[in-house]
Amino acid sequence: MTQANRLRATAARDADAPLLSVRDLVVRFKTHDATVHAVTGVSFDVAEGETVGLVGESGCGKSVTNLAIMRLLPKPAGRIEGGRVLLDGQDLAAMAESEIRDIRGRDVAMIFQDPMPSLNPVLTIEEQLTETLRAHRKISAADARQRAIDLLVLVGIPNPEPRLRNFPHQFSGGMRQRVMIAMALALEPRLLIADEPTTALDVTIQAQVLELIRDLTQKTGTAVILITHDLGVVAGMTQRVNVMYAGFIVEAGLTTDIFAKPSHPYTVGLLHSIPRIDGGEGEELIPIEGAPPNQRLAPVGCPFAPRCAWRTDRCLTENPVIVAVDGSGAAVLTGAAATHRIACHNPPTPAEAAAGRPLSGGASRVGATGDAR
Amino acid sequence: MTHSITPQAATAAGTSPLLEVEDLAVWFPITEGVVFERHTGDVRAVDGVSFSIRRGETLGLVGESGCGKSTTGRAIVRLYKPTRGAIRIDGTDLAGLEGVELRNMRRRMQMVFQDPYASLDPRMNVASIVAEPLEIHGVGTGSERRERVGELLSTVGLDPSHAVRYPHEFSGGQRQRIGVARALALQPDLIVADEPVSALDVSIQAQIINLLGRLQDSFGLTYLFIAHDLSVVRHVSDRIAVMYLGRIVELATAKELHDRPLHPYTVALLSAIPIPDPVREVSRRRIILQGDVPSPVNPPSGCHFHTRCWLRERLGNPEQCVAEAPMPRDLAAGHQVACHFAEKTDGSAEQVLSIGRPVPSASTAPVAPPPTTAGA
Repeated sequence: MTQANRLRATAARDADAPLLSVRDLVVRFKTHDATVHAVTGVSFDVAEGETVGLVGESGCGKSVTNLAIMRLLPKPAGRIEGGRVLLDGQDLAAMAESEIRDIRGRDVAMIFQDPMPSLNPVLTIEEQLTETLRAHRKISAADARQRAIDLLVLVGIPNPEPRLRNFPHQFSGGMRQRVMIAMALALEPRLLIADEPTTALDVTIQAQVLELIRDLTQKTGTAVILITHDLGVVAGMTQRVNVMYAGFIVEAGLTTDIFAKPSHPYTVGLLHSIPRIDGGEGEELIPIEGAPPNQRLAPVGCPFAPRCAWRTDRCLTENPVIVAVDGSGAAVLTGAAATHRIACHNPPTPAEAAAGRPLSGGASRVGATGDAR
Repeated sequence: MTHSITPQAATAAGTSPLLEVEDLAVWFPITEGVVFERHTGDVRAVDGVSFSIRRGETLGLVGESGCGKSTTGRAIVRLYKPTRGAIRIDGTDLAGLEGVELRNMRRRMQMVFQDPYASLDPRMNVASIVAEPLEIHGVGTGSERRERVGELLSTVGLDPSHAVRYPHEFSGGQRQRIGVARALALQPDLIVADEPVSALDVSIQAQIINLLGRLQDSFGLTYLFIAHDLSVVRHVSDRIAVMYLGRIVELATAKELHDRPLHPYTVALLSAIPIPDPVREVSRRRIILQGDVPSPVNPPSGCHFHTRCWLRERLGNPEQCVAEAPMPRDLAAGHQVACHFAEKTDGSAEQVLSIGRPVPSASTAPVAPPPTTAGA
């Protein structure tokens, strides 16, 4: 049946179109006294079978982007105020609620940081797994149960049969995340959105779960959007990365390019502000001064400018568009030849990127940084 | 029992241990029944931990959730009463102290907490928060305290004029600076920092790590730095103790622990940490530990790690690991390991962190290269 879905879907779009295409997505939250500019014109593509990272710190809009894709923004505050989310050419942003419900789970599935709120505490794992299966497919109760057992085996849960009768609280954090992955992959979705899937887990358990996600999605050819703040996780899991800051994508490209030649001051800053387990001894950390901007104010200029050591006067008034680092024209957005792009008026030179700070007098530091308010 | 007011005096003593912890155990009782409480078991959060910290040194205490690292830290500042063992500051055992004597000793050790949102009272302004320890210990007059608060705020990189503001007016990083200022107020010798940067965004973490380092240099502070993130711990620590299920399994200098980890758990921990470098990640070999950390209510017999140990599996599951708890042994100068078979680990850094010789074990899993970048 999935096969039929896939065929139908493939027929509906151009041969070269990516699986998912997000275009100029704008999401705002209206509260009683303010509007929060959560996502301001984000565009990215995901091709079949690709694993794409969405990296950034709290509040950068990475999770909101994906809630918007799934149409799960908290209502009524959160609204998609612009842009399109094309899955196989169909605009999810414009779809009726009943249509999007069919897509969720079947075509696009999601795993969250904390599996507990996503699992129903008063239903057994069996009831929850088979519910997903039977909601989307016409299968018998016995078949659904067998499929549920197979799924638990797939995600490496020992003694799957007795475990089906357990409730979520009877599983450890790592095991719960495995159950979530089983539920997400139950219908063989074509796109899996993993929102900080291992942030709540210990590092040895994180290694188990990441390996599981990597193995399963490679085996099934599922595309993955991996949302995380952990640059180490991104480095090991993804082929391409989009770096987000304050509602914008500031750098995008192949994972190898971005780590080898980070080009946006924010990416450079991030890489210099984390101690690395393989780093040299006594290596100095260069913090990014200040704090992220107040997103209740409409963005003016480059969002990173107030904290940027490379900023110029122009950065404070004019938000740079994202263009190829090497200045070439048309950009490749997906696959192994994706163009390395940044949104910056005054990018650091490679030597400065390596040093983590401007080398000559360079940027004129305008005004004081450091006040979050 | 004179208290050294100037931190300079504290550093003058050189390398004598400021803090000695000996066979510390903290057990939390589990009870059943409402009217007649029966004691049915214990959560053995910390179960026989010994280490010492020299003046001016940073000892990192690292381990996964539930390993007892935070409980150890809290027992040291006597937020928990130890079940057994000794905690000595300059030779005075805290475990036996009560009342005024305990309060006087507490001036010498302060704590910085993980969550800068929960550890600051939202109804107190910054001046009251930072001055509170001074008031409790009756230090200075009102105007002296106000002056001191201003000094402390500038020391941690905040604007002294913000003293009248309330915690909600600050960002996470700034709140953590307030917590640090409060900890410094009484000029303590020892600061127990329990996950001081884990709740902060990565770009802010480095600000606090650098601040703590700068303060140590200027005030001769001694740190017990508790964290789950071995990369951060390695960056800030002189020596590192690795905990697993209530016990220290390995204790060595930061360099030694990184270059030559000897306990199989440390090796697995190092191999599990993602490195922000896709080229190295692709070529790395991971030791994936099977299963979860067992319950501290009913820890495994013998070596607590034997249920998940890759080395034991490789050695054909020797009975000694199940029967006998390994005592910490000195395997090199200042490098203690609690493992019967640590000599067989060969956990050199290249093996764990990089390409080359993989750990020959059944549970070793290569990291699969991401397919589309293979040619790039």
